[in-house]
Amino acid sequence: MDGHELLSPHATKAIEYLIAITYLVLFIPFWRFVNEAAPARAFNFSWFHAPEDVYLHPGHAWARTHGGAVAVGLDDFAHKLIGPLEAFQPPELGAPVRQGQKAFTVLAGGKSLDVLSPVDGNVVAVNEAARVHPGETVRDPYGAGWMVKVEPRWLTANLKNLFSGEAARRFLESAAEKLAAKMTPELGLVLQDGGAPVHGIARELDPEHWDDLVRKSLRGE
Amino acid sequence: MNEHALNRPFIDAWVREKIFLGLPFREYARSLATPMNALAAVILLFGLPVTAYRFWKGLGAVTNLSQTNPWGIWVAFDILCGVALAAGGYTVASAVYIFGQKRYQPVLRPAILTGFLGYVFVLVGLMVDLGQPWRLPYQFFLTPGTTAVMYEVGWCVFLYLMVLALEFSPAALEWLGFAKLRRFVGGLTVGIIVLGVTLSTLHQSSLGAFFLMTPGKLHPLWYSPFLPIFFFVSSITAGIGMVIFESTLSHRAFHDRLDPAAPVDMNKITLGLARGGAVVLFAYFFVRLQGLAGSGRWDLLTTGWGAWYLLELLGFILLPSLLFAAAARSSNVKLARAAGVVTVLGVVLNRLNVSLIAFNWNVPDRYVPSASEVLISLTIVTLGVLVFRWIVNRMPVLTEHPDWRGAH
Repeated sequence: MDGHELLSPHATKAIEYLIAITYLVLFIPFWRFVNEAAPARAFNFSWFHAPEDVYLHPGHAWARTHGGAVAVGLDDFAHKLIGPLEAFQPPELGAPVRQGQKAFTVLAGGKSLDVLSPVDGNVVAVNEAARVHPGETVRDPYGAGWMVKVEPRWLTANLKNLFSGEAARRFLESAAEKLAAKMTPELGLVLQDGGAPVHGIARELDPEHWDDLVRKSLRGE
Repeated sequence: MNEHALNRPFIDAWVREKIFLGLPFREYARSLATPMNALAAVILLFGLPVTAYRFWKGLGAVTNLSQTNPWGIWVAFDILCGVALAAGGYTVASAVYIFGQKRYQPVLRPAILTGFLGYVFVLVGLMVDLGQPWRLPYQFFLTPGTTAVMYEVGWCVFLYLMVLALEFSPAALEWLGFAKLRRFVGGLTVGIIVLGVTLSTLHQSSLGAFFLMTPGKLHPLWYSPFLPIFFFVSSITAGIGMVIFESTLSHRAFHDRLDPAAPVDMNKITLGLARGGAVVLFAYFFVRLQGLAGSGRWDLLTTGWGAWYLLELLGFILLPSLLFAAAARSSNVKLARAAGVVTVLGVVLNRLNVSLIAFNWNVPDRYVPSASEVLISLTIVTLGVLVFRWIVNRMPVLTEHPDWRGAH
C-alpha cells in the first residue's frame, strides 16, 4: 500500500473540503457562463448587416429553417440597394418554387424585380404584413420582414448550395466590394467612412438603368 | 412465410433491394471499389490470418504478454476504451427517455448502434484475449465466482449486450418490414432503456473497480478508492464526446441517407451536447482532484509521472471542459466538435494510463505491444467500422423509416 496511507487525516480532509467548496463556488459562474448564450452574433458591415443564423442565396434572398418550414426574405444588402419597396407580389399558397428560380416579385421605383428562391418546395405561408406594408420590411429584414414560408423538399441538398457562416460573410463582403467599385467620389457616396449610404443606393448610382444593376444582383451576378 | 417466400424472382428482388442497395450485383460490387475499402481490405487480409494464428498457437505466439504483464492492449484498448466509447448509447438514451430531452432523439439511433457494435467488438476483443470462446458462458453456469468483480462484469456485459440488441432491434425490424414484432418491441422501449442505463452504470464503474485490487501495481497518482466513480463519470464524458464526434462524421459521410423532408438541426444538438459536456467534465475534474487529495501524494506531481498525470488532468479534462463552455456560449459548433475529439482522446488516455501506462510502472519488465497485437486491434476496429457502415447504409438509423415516424 505504498503511498496510500493517509499521514494526517485532518490535513487531507481539510484539502478535500477545500476542493469541494472551490468546486461549488466556481460552478456558479461556470454554469452561468455556459448557459447564458452570448448575444446572437451578426456580421456588421458599414451599411448593412446579416445575422449569422440565416443561409444566403447568391441572389440575396435569405433562408432560415423554422420548424418544418423555411422562412425566406430579402437580405439587408438588397433592401438597401433597391430602396423602399412599393409592392410585394407573393406567389399563391401551395405554389411550387425551385432553388434559383423566381420565388416572388417586388416593385420599387415603378420597376418590378424578381427575387429567386433559395430552396425547393411549396409556398405554405405569405407574410400579410409585408404585402400590406412592403415599405416596412427594410426595418427588420431578417425577422418581421420575412416574405414567404416554404415547405422544403430537398432542404439538406439545398442548404449545401447556400452561404452560411464564414462563407456568407465573404459573399456579402465581395458583394459590397463590387458595389463600392462602381462608386465614384463625385457621387458623394463613401461606404467606409461616409456614414450610411442612401437607402436606394442603386438609383443614386445609375438613375437611368438602376434596375439592371439590381436585377444583376438579384440574379447573383 | 407468405406464398412468395420460395419464389425466386421475389428473393432476387429482395436481396437486391435490401443487400445490394437496389443496385444490380455488378454495379454494387463496383461501388465498393473505394480507397477506404482498399485500406480496410489490406488490414483484414493481414489481420484475419494473424487473428486465426493467435487462436491456433496461443497468446505466446503473437503477443508480448507475460506473467508480469498479463493484460495488454486488447484489454486496455479494445475492451476498456471500447466500453467507455460505447457509452454514448446509454448517455443519449437516458437524456431522451429519462430526462425527457426529446430534441436529442435524432442522434439516439446512431448512438445506440455505436454502443451496440462497440460492445459486440468488445466481446470480440475479449474472446481474442481469452481464447477458447466456447468457455465464455462457463462463468454463468459452471463455475460462477460470485465474489469476483469479473463475475459482475461478465453478467453486465452479457445482459447489456442483449439490452443493446433489443434497443437497436426496431431499426432492423423496420428494415426487414416485420411490423408486428416492431410494434411489440416498441412497447418495451422505456423498460429496456431503464434496464440499459442501470446496467451501464454498474458496468462502467465496475471496470474501474477492477483496479481497486491493484494498489501496489497502479501508480499512486492514478490509484484511488474512487476509481469506480472516475470510470463512471468519465464514461459520460466519453459518451457525449463520441456522440458529437460520430454523429458529425456519419451525418457527413452518409449525407445522402439523410431525410430531406425532416431536416435535423445538428448544430443545435451539438451545442446542447457541448453544454452537457462542459458541466460533466468540470465536475469530473474536481472529482479527480478529490482522488489526488485522498492519496495525499501531491509530492509526486513534480516527478515525470506527475507531468504525465497533469497532462491528462489539465489537457484532457479541464481544457475540453473550457472549450465546450466557450463553444456553447458562442454557439461555435466547430469548437464543440474539436472539444468532443479532445474529450474522447482524454478518456482513451485515461483508460490506457490506468490499465497500461501507469500500471506496473515500478516493474523493470515493461510491456510494449507486439506488431501482431496492434494489427489484431486494428482488425477489430476495422470490422466494427465496416459493420457500422453496412448497417447505416441499409437500416433507418440516420433517418426515420417513413412508416414509423415519431414512433418509439
